[in-house]
Amino acid sequence: MTIKFPDIDYAAIAPLLIMFGVAALGVLVEAFVPKRARHLTQLVLALAGLVAALVVLVTQAETRVVTAGGAIAVDGPALFLQGSIIVLAIMAVLLIGERSLEKGGPFVAQAAITVGSEDDRRQAARADGATEVYPLATFAIFGMMLFVSANDLLTMFIALEVLSLPLYLMCALARRRRLVSQEAALKYFMLGAYASAFFLFGVALVYGFTASVQAAPGRMAGGVDFATIHAAATQSPANRALLFGGLAMIAIGLLFKAAAAPFHVWTPDVYQGAPTAVTGFMAACTKVAAFGALLRVLYVAFDGARWDFTPVLGAIAILTMLVGAVLSVTQTDLKRLLAYSSIANAGYLLVGVLAGVREGISSTMFYLVAYGFTVIAAFAVVTLVRDADGEATHLSRWAGLGRRSPVFAGVFTFILLAFAGIPLTSGFISKFAVFGAALDGGQTWLVIAGVITSMVLAFPYLRVVVMMWLSEPGESTPTIAVPGALTAAALVIGVAATLVLGVAPAPLLNLSDTAGQFIR
Amino acid sequence: MTNIALAATVTTGEAVTFWILAPLALLGAIGMVVARNAVHSALWLVLTMLCLGVFYVVQAGPFIGMVQIIVYTGAIMMLFLFVLMLVGRDASDSLIETLRGQRVAAVLVGLGFAGLVGTLVARAVGDTTAVGLEAANQNGNVQGIAALLFTNYVFAFEATSALLITAAVGAMVLAHIHKPKSERLGQPETMRLRFRPGNYPAPKPGPGVYATSDSVATPGRLPDGTLTQRSVPEILPTRELSPRETAPKGTEK
Repeated sequence: MTIKFPDIDYAAIAPLLIMFGVAALGVLVEAFVPKRARHLTQLVLALAGLVAALVVLVTQAETRVVTAGGAIAVDGPALFLQGSIIVLAIMAVLLIGERSLEKGGPFVAQAAITVGSEDDRRQAARADGATEVYPLATFAIFGMMLFVSANDLLTMFIALEVLSLPLYLMCALARRRRLVSQEAALKYFMLGAYASAFFLFGVALVYGFTASVQAAPGRMAGGVDFATIHAAATQSPANRALLFGGLAMIAIGLLFKAAAAPFHVWTPDVYQGAPTAVTGFMAACTKVAAFGALLRVLYVAFDGARWDFTPVLGAIAILTMLVGAVLSVTQTDLKRLLAYSSIANAGYLLVGVLAGVREGISSTMFYLVAYGFTVIAAFAVVTLVRDADGEATHLSRWAGLGRRSPVFAGVFTFILLAFAGIPLTSGFISKFAVFGAALDGGQTWLVIAGVITSMVLAFPYLRVVVMMWLSEPGESTPTIAVPGALTAAALVIGVAATLVLGVAPAPLLNLSDTAGQFIR
Repeated sequence: MTNIALAATVTTGEAVTFWILAPLALLGAIGMVVARNAVHSALWLVLTMLCLGVFYVVQAGPFIGMVQIIVYTGAIMMLFLFVLMLVGRDASDSLIETLRGQRVAAVLVGLGFAGLVGTLVARAVGDTTAVGLEAANQNGNVQGIAALLFTNYVFAFEATSALLITAAVGAMVLAHIHKPKSERLGQPETMRLRFRPGNYPAPKPGPGVYATSDSVATPGRLPDGTLTQRSVPEILPTRELSPRETAPKGTEK
């Protein structure tokens, strides 16, 4: 028996390979570079790798190819989403690398030291943070980029694990409030493993459904690549219950990562416990990856079952918007508030996904980018508001910040207005785009729910704005730290992008529109 | 390798194996959830995994069956048991519910979900004849898997290396404590600590062995006849002996 190694278009997957290489190099740096030089080396290596991957990606902008034995599809949405993951990851890495706000950075030096022990107090005061976060972050970025371009369910599953595992680890590495951070990591890990099991079970059911169906004459019968699933959705003689059961479980796995209700319960705890830089990374990049994969699964593989899954996923979208909007009203912690807001935004993104027309793809992709920029900027501001115990995230502590530091309060107000979807911000344009696409696709019910929940969701944001500006600063009002160059860069990029995408969104809208075509 | 069961029909032997092992697998799964002691849970899981391994072999998947038994049951579960033993035998679950009614709700929802999936799969494949087994095992089971791994799934196969590296790095980050050289003790310091006043430099005495008891929880006797608690391992819970146990057993005469 001879095995023919599949053709691999190395140029098309070069960005993926670069990220993998950078991550592997990062591990070697941990082993061989002296401790003192490690942080700078890792930071430069990660940023250089990301920029190199972005440059290579841009040169491949016209590539449309399915490669590596049908495992990877490099098409418009894949390239667009990979590009957005890289850009947002650059901002997140800038936040991760910040060391001027706190001595040693936001990460714990040695996570194995018992919390609260004498050694722990010593390392919290002066030890440099662990630099292993950089290879972990680059591995996660590699997984996310693979996730949005995976063309079969098994590759997608591996990518899901590759992106999740480093995130679980990074959640556990906060320098302050380490027990909360470890609890968050454990919770995320347990529930994430559970969701992955659902995904795998769904893959098995779908594989059973595709048996004896060939995607094209001469291809192997059966399989979990998207072309075969697409063919099976119309031709398979098997009972369609297998298809629906499989799709439902795959959707559970993906919606868990996207933080859609009722699979959202991990989100507030994990967002609160994780180091804020990692939270920003998760809120922006994981969301892009999860919705990119969801788009591909629904538009490429299960397109033939659209009429069957749209009502179910539509109900989930409405539930997500409602849960996110209503529960964010009751929050008293800023990181939890942003977590519930990210849940609500997952609902709006689902509205775009379910539009079922090409504008649905492009508007969802635009929304992902716009939201990513804004949410990283928001978490960047959260890292700045500090007192002696680290970040002061309780809402009451933010009262009166407008008097104390008008610039940062103004920036944060602008970010909150963008979340609320006020015109001249990217939040308005992106909501407008997904709702417009959903109307085109005939999903008026989703749009109605979206508009209503948007109005509810504006309340918690405006409450924070009012607290910041109209309250007197008290004794316990924390100071706003002067951001270091890295945080400042991330903040400026995020705010500028939010403004530019709100005022002149046409270039990115056009780009997402030309990219919004999957290949099978 | 053409002697692998190729037919899609179920032979008597297969049916008999299934009906013997399926209840055992189920029992193991339930036992794993119900068992209070973590070690018992792990052993119940081993039972389920062994049964599944046999199922795979019977269903013409010898490779996955053997991997299930050798790697999962043999290596991973045994490693798991080692960890449990190292952590300590008193690591049994507490039965206090942090959320009221959680256990009942979990059982009900779990049963509902099992019923849903069970009926779904039963209805979907109940009257379907299996296809593709012969084609998949045409060149041998292992060769077929190898062919898939190195053609369609070669990238996924390579990407798992990222998982392994992440796992290794993660274990290091979460479990390794680096001690700087200045904190490491040399031989003279270790000796000084050993012979400092108040420390007991010799090996600890063994447990007492008496006619009435040979438990490790019984303290041994020193040469001068006094009992020493030093011989009782620290992880053993201190236990009050019941009057029945301390009563003469009629062997003193």
